[in-house]
Amino acid sequence: MKMRKGLWIQVLVLALVFSLILVLVNNISTNLIRSGLGFDFGWLNRTAGFALAEHVLPYSSSDNYAWALLIGWLNSLKVIFASLIMATLIGFFVGILSAGRNTLLRFLASLYVTFIRQIPLLLQLLFWYFVGFLSIQGNLIGPFKGILNISNQGIVILGINLSAEFSALLIGLSVYSGAYISEIVRGGIQSVSRGQWEAFRSLGLAENIGLIKVIMPQALPAILPGLTSQYLNLAKNSTLAIAVGYSDIYAISDTIITQTGRAIEGFILLLISFFFLNIIISNCMELLNNRLLSYQKH
Amino acid sequence: MFSNLINSLVVISIVFIFLFSLLLVFKWLLFSSQWGVVTQNLPLYAFGVFPVDQRWRPCLWLLILAFLSIVTIFKPRWSWFGKVLPIAWVGVIPLGVGLLSGGLGLLPVESRHWGGFTLTILLMSCSALLAFPLGIMFAIGRQSKLPLIKYFSALYIDALRAVPLISILFFGQLLIPLFLPLGVEINRVSRAVISFTLFVAAYIAEDIRGGWQAIPNSQLEASKALGLSQAQTIRFIILPQALTIALPALTNQAIGLLQNTSLMSILGLVELLGISRSILANPVFIGRYIEVYVWLAGIYWVICTVMALLLRQLEEKVSIQRRIRKNV
Repeated sequence: MKMRKGLWIQVLVLALVFSLILVLVNNISTNLIRSGLGFDFGWLNRTAGFALAEHVLPYSSSDNYAWALLIGWLNSLKVIFASLIMATLIGFFVGILSAGRNTLLRFLASLYVTFIRQIPLLLQLLFWYFVGFLSIQGNLIGPFKGILNISNQGIVILGINLSAEFSALLIGLSVYSGAYISEIVRGGIQSVSRGQWEAFRSLGLAENIGLIKVIMPQALPAILPGLTSQYLNLAKNSTLAIAVGYSDIYAISDTIITQTGRAIEGFILLLISFFFLNIIISNCMELLNNRLLSYQKH
Repeated sequence: MFSNLINSLVVISIVFIFLFSLLLVFKWLLFSSQWGVVTQNLPLYAFGVFPVDQRWRPCLWLLILAFLSIVTIFKPRWSWFGKVLPIAWVGVIPLGVGLLSGGLGLLPVESRHWGGFTLTILLMSCSALLAFPLGIMFAIGRQSKLPLIKYFSALYIDALRAVPLISILFFGQLLIPLFLPLGVEINRVSRAVISFTLFVAAYIAEDIRGGWQAIPNSQLEASKALGLSQAQTIRFIILPQALTIALPALTNQAIGLLQNTSLMSILGLVELLGISRSILANPVFIGRYIEVYVWLAGIYWVICTVMALLLRQLEEKVSIQRRIRKNV
């Protein structure tokens, strides 16, 4: 009797979901026919016609939309990867400080975390871009000209040229994610029992070495899952690039949809590209996790 | 000795950088900041381009909200107060929509004239109100024993959590009109609220699932022993506990939602950040970025703090109720 009730509920839900989908598809197809667009991906082969300031692979405005999307995806990957590293460095640094014994540094760390977390990321990005870079007059760092050059054109460091858009996005994302990562690191370190600290101190190990060799290996299993979700968040947050004019995958999809009116196809492509981004990040973290576990066993 | 030296160097340089930036901030505050861009535009920040003679309506709503917040945080000892307060909080949200849109004797004001701080709060509160029951629904669906319902809920939650919010909002603006039958049109604000709702519901569902999984199994066995049906178990045993456990996470969601409403400024709504960007585009105030951004950061900071305080009251109340129930 109970079995049958469950079955009926499922059939009912299935019918509801399907009829909802049917109604929506019906509406959208009448709307698309009316606007004369239809549903196909043939437009991917057409010439894009817009220039991109930043591209990892060669790109010109006579290339097609598909190539432009790929360039955007690679741009996304570039900024995500760079800010991921910087955010991790900031996060671990601040996290270790806020789990440490120095009261002043703990206070500064908690100031940073609360301050950053209470302000929208978009506002922070705009701040870094318009105030941090665009309002610089001349070279910010005089004496180091040639090695490090910070101006409203961006950052030039040892011949590597980073545009102002990229740099603002990089700094904004790293500082923002760093605050979240530092909380995870702090939690991880604090989850290691106090006895471990006392043990390495009584063995005569220096504070730094004990932290790296004794505490961190035990804290990492608690840190990694949180770190993975922060990395995924960072990847999603990188789409705010459009606000500072960096041409990532979302910004380029936006331009293409405005040009062609292919909203549904564009949405599907964006979904797929994020699917791949997520898979790359979570698989790398999985790999790291497994390596860590096997390393600990030996 | 060596590591101590490095440690002290790091400490000194951090403190030095901190003091140096503090000095820069004070120098800027004293000598180069000009707050005209903020003080001359206060009504714009608060109400956007709402018709001037109708501004008392959003103003009234904000005052009611402020009043409710104050009485919630400082909890006077009125006996009727505890029962009325939750109803008032839920009721104040449709009241706000009514006050802004007009009708019933008030002059109707189109949603494209809504803006500023009022719109930020409206987007946040409407989406939160709608997303909460939807999130609970999906959480229950994901824990269901019926494979089909479980599968649908999991698919929805995972799909929405995999995509960036801005794309949901953008395609919400573009696609929701396409999904509607011919002749039915909804305005940009409603489209934004729908997109936020769909997005946040997935996260709420996941948070509630976390709370759900933290409930000890003995609770379920006890409810089975009492002969409660499955619906009764969820309603009286699981949900109250899962929600209580998930409340801190839900607080973070609410604060995140408030901050995320700023994304609508990219998509053409003049909420708090949007109206600030159009003020900055005014040639009179050109280049006054820092003042505006500092002002906005202050507002967001205050509102986030107030929200955290309000939700902590809720947390306290819930835990007190649990304690009372335990004693009885």
